[in-house]
Amino acid sequence: MRAALSRRRGLWGFPLAFVALAMLSLYRETIGFPVFYLTLLTTILFWTAQSTSWNILSGYSGYFSFGQAAFVGVGAYTTAVLYGRHQVDFYVTLGCSAVLCAVLALFVGGLAFRLRSLRGEIFALLTLAVPFILGALAQLNSAIDGGQGIIVTVPPFPSQLGLFQDYLYLISLAVAVGAVWAAYAIQHSRFGWALSAIRDAEDVAEGLGVATFRYKMLAIMVSGVIGGVSGSIFALQIGFVAVTSVFNLTVPLFVIVMSVLGGRAHWLGPVLGAGLVTLLQDRLTASGLADWRLVVLGGVLAVLVVIAPEGLYVRLRARPWPALAAFAVIVVGLRLANAFGGPLDWILYGALAAVVIAVLPGRLGRKTGTARAERTDRPEPTERKAAVPDRPSPDDDEPAPTGAEVLVECEDVARYFGGVRALDGVTLRIGSGELVGLVGPNGSGKTTMVSLLAGTLRPTRGTIRVAGRDIAGLPPHRVAHAGVARTYQIPRPFGSMTVRDNVAMAIMFGREPRSLPRARAAAERHIGFVGLGHLADARPDALNLHQRQLLEMARALGTNPKVLFLDEALAGLTPAEIDNAVEVVRRIQRGGTSIVIVEHLLRVVNQLATRIVVLDKGTLLADGEPRTVMRDPAVVQAYLGKRAHA
Amino acid sequence: MLEVSGLAAHYGDAQALWDVDLDVRDGEIVTIIGPNGAGKTTLVHTIAGLHPATRGRVIFDGADLTRLPGHRVCSRGVAIVPEGRRVFPHMTVEENLCLGAYRKGARPAHRDVIGRVRELFPRLGERYHQPAGRLSGGEQQMLAIGRALMAQPRLLLLDEPSLGLAPVVVDEVMTAIETINADGVSIMLVEQDVERALSVAARGYLLVEGRIVTSAPPERLRESDDVRQTVLGI
Amino acid sequence: MDTLQAGLSGVLVGGLYALMAAGLSITWGVLRIINLIHFGLILLGAYLTFQIASSWNVDPMLTLVITMPALFVLGALVQWTFDRLAISELSSLLLSFGLLIVIVQGISNLWSADFRQMSAEVNPYATRSVSLGGLDLVFPLPTLLAFGLAVVLIGGAHVALRRTFTGRALRAFAQDRAIAAAFGIDHRRIGVLLAGAAGATAAAAGMLFAMSTALTPATAFEWFGTVFAVVILGGIGHLLGTLVAGLLVGALGAVVTVLISAAAEPFVLFSTIVLVLLLRPQGLFAHGGTR
Repeated sequence: MRAALSRRRGLWGFPLAFVALAMLSLYRETIGFPVFYLTLLTTILFWTAQSTSWNILSGYSGYFSFGQAAFVGVGAYTTAVLYGRHQVDFYVTLGCSAVLCAVLALFVGGLAFRLRSLRGEIFALLTLAVPFILGALAQLNSAIDGGQGIIVTVPPFPSQLGLFQDYLYLISLAVAVGAVWAAYAIQHSRFGWALSAIRDAEDVAEGLGVATFRYKMLAIMVSGVIGGVSGSIFALQIGFVAVTSVFNLTVPLFVIVMSVLGGRAHWLGPVLGAGLVTLLQDRLTASGLADWRLVVLGGVLAVLVVIAPEGLYVRLRARPWPALAAFAVIVVGLRLANAFGGPLDWILYGALAAVVIAVLPGRLGRKTGTARAERTDRPEPTERKAAVPDRPSPDDDEPAPTGAEVLVECEDVARYFGGVRALDGVTLRIGSGELVGLVGPNGSGKTTMVSLLAGTLRPTRGTIRVAGRDIAGLPPHRVAHAGVARTYQIPRPFGSMTVRDNVAMAIMFGREPRSLPRARAAAERHIGFVGLGHLADARPDALNLHQRQLLEMARALGTNPKVLFLDEALAGLTPAEIDNAVEVVRRIQRGGTSIVIVEHLLRVVNQLATRIVVLDKGTLLADGEPRTVMRDPAVVQAYLGKRAHA
Repeated sequence: MLEVSGLAAHYGDAQALWDVDLDVRDGEIVTIIGPNGAGKTTLVHTIAGLHPATRGRVIFDGADLTRLPGHRVCSRGVAIVPEGRRVFPHMTVEENLCLGAYRKGARPAHRDVIGRVRELFPRLGERYHQPAGRLSGGEQQMLAIGRALMAQPRLLLLDEPSLGLAPVVVDEVMTAIETINADGVSIMLVEQDVERALSVAARGYLLVEGRIVTSAPPERLRESDDVRQTVLGI
Repeated sequence: MDTLQAGLSGVLVGGLYALMAAGLSITWGVLRIINLIHFGLILLGAYLTFQIASSWNVDPMLTLVITMPALFVLGALVQWTFDRLAISELSSLLLSFGLLIVIVQGISNLWSADFRQMSAEVNPYATRSVSLGGLDLVFPLPTLLAFGLAVVLIGGAHVALRRTFTGRALRAFAQDRAIAAAFGIDHRRIGVLLAGAAGATAAAAGMLFAMSTALTPATAFEWFGTVFAVVILGGIGHLLGTLVAGLLVGALGAVVTVLISAAAEPFVLFSTIVLVLLLRPQGLFAHGGTR
């Protein structure tokens, strides 16, 4: 229902908005719309396109770019040089800008995103350097600028459109609406979901089968194309392109402030931000405070980072009516009193009042309240031994199908960290349908083993096969597609998505990719399977630890894995919760998925697993039926120290 | 000397310690044994002020340490030898030792104490100017103990000093622990290696899943099936 | 000969780069804060030097008596605020970017956006140079001073980090915060102290800048590329690495300008950064996060 509604908005809303806004220019004289307003709107549209371009890369994926000026500059100079100097058709230069910026974006992205463990700060700094370098190049190269600047004349345009301002307004409108529509479409597609997942927890996304590198490259390219085309039009708008006016640090400042102010996880955020900030700038200039514009803006950014990092959109969404009421009251009141400047001032004051109303209630009564409440609700431990039902293990009634077919094969696998041999020559086979407990004292190499099998680490030596396929050296998302899934000891849900969408994410990008509506429907089954059905619409931060662990399992199941690694899935749970988790694990196994459970709680593993593998100091110490293994003198010694078994 | 009562600690919503009571008397070696993930490290960190307690009290020498931040606990005479050694890898052995004496009260005599640490662990003297990151595991363990001694503590919290070390080295470390104790430093020894821990301790506590389940002298713990059952889960 | 002259001059100028980068690098490495305000502090130091020297007619070197303590306090105050707000590394970048713009525009409003320079009577250094007779090499005095101050301040800080209790505490804190705390190190105190010291080096860098060229507020942004190149090449938080990287970047820029063209300089610099990030993300000289 909601999906259908939003699709309709995508189909009709944007053309309608375009037509409505275009009317302002086409019937400008009829409705008495001043040209001055049109110019202001054109500026707003330029910044809307730019901050939307920034938002698609940085807002959606979380990689903050400080290099937006590179796109503006390359776009503006492409048009300035080709059209302004060599009289190439203006529309052709738009295409050239798009191509050049796409190439630039892919080049920067290709370098940056290839870095192993690229940190957000390093990306920010790299992008900060790009406009600086391009600016220097333009300054020094006389084929581009040579320090003179380039005059861009008014291109021929259909005379029915009226003034040049009308023409400029209309093409800016087309680009801005196109950009926002692209942002909207991306947000509602697989692409957008992948970017959100990257923002929330990139390596988890990769581990669930999202080809993160490809999506990041795509995002930076789309951002470049929009930024470049809009930059071309900016060249017309300013009429004279010089290095200082385009390769300028105020560009990233503006787009970041606008997007952060408006809300950067949503397509509408930059639109809100661009309108508000541009209006504020304009009014400050009009009041003779032009010199203080940047001071105000820099201050706004600093304050926002501290008090409302999630942006206005989220706040307005939470309390739309008080904000709207404040806006209306102020605007109408000032209009009636006819005081404090003209209509633009009134709108600005109204908007500022709405902002204050939206932001003031502070932290939105953060959801920690619920999380804490749930913690106290947990059942108090009564008796420890009652934690796991004293059932004989393995279950007599439903013998687990063991080793019918070899699923995971590790052959002499070793992994060294410098001189430390975290794993040294481990050979291990796991059959389909098995439930293997992987145990060992601290520092025995369990975590390394899981990382190797999930593809986040490469073995120093040896081969690892999953379902007959060699996975050593494959990126984690390909390993996921080969049928491996894992959970994390400290649950790492995608914080911006509901429980249902967390699982739908995994289904969309799993072994058998599906569309969002189908993935959402399928997610219900997994959520119900782990017993989180009643929380499908909750956000992960409202869940307690146990529920988050169950979500981890549901999400891992969403990828439709052949083998599932549970990393310390029981740590920190109460006995009653452990019982429940154990029940879920058994259910998963009965469903035919092989499970490797890495766990400290031996008494639970011993009863749950059909087979125990003990690692000690990076080597395989024992492998077999739980009770036999746990009586093995070598195992006893590894756990209790020497002589204990004597 | 150290009295812990009703102590609870959490990681986010995960509770790691439930209602822990224990005490260490003056001049004693007390050991806390228990399986992986039982909450031993959390216990040490909570006592040392590196992790907040959510309930209960830590009293040391009559003073309440429960709410003190880590850097103030140190000046009361409690030093920690953390799990996994955690020496400062890019600082030399000498610098690591000097750092141990950072607290105001320990600075004046730090040269003398360095001398005593070098007597206790001659191998540290041989590696004196090398970065700690290049030492072997055993040497790092000695350095971690030496660093803690530099703070001139009256209570030493040792967290799994035998972890990942060869048996010969473990013997050496255990002997050193006894020597330190003989010099009047009380010791709380947290260990996975039950047998070794019990061989040096006067009393032992068994910590399982965040709770103290037994407290007894070593002989009794050694004989009891409780330990084996809870640790091995059989 | 030109190349040698250019390379050596570049090395001397590189001293200034190193001095500008050192404070940024060490606060980033130790406190995990990317403090772009540092650029604002350098700019402020330069303008204060210009103002004090010009209005009271004192030697620019002497202005350090005022600017160093002043910027120490300012740097410390900023860190205190960051600490209070529990700012993450990425938000520190955003927050300080906003504040940097405020500072630069504020300076521009106070002193105007025009070029400002101390007069020759006040600043006798600008026009003097030292020649190495036998080799036919000439070096402007301010660059020699920059080199000297950089070596003295960074070298001094390097020794202090190794020899004093506070210095060792800083390094320990950078390597393992929790354990450092267990040995009595108070992160607030140490952070404020370090940020203050970084502010003081900003004063020195600003003074050198005011001494050697004319000032305009926008230069603060032009420093970004070079200074971050030095920080990354030297290894984040690695003082001696920063010094060497500063000198290298200075020499590289000068030599490339002479041999190829000035246009090639940013390209060479940028590709060097990218290569370093690709091959040795920990910096040219560090073995892992050393300091």
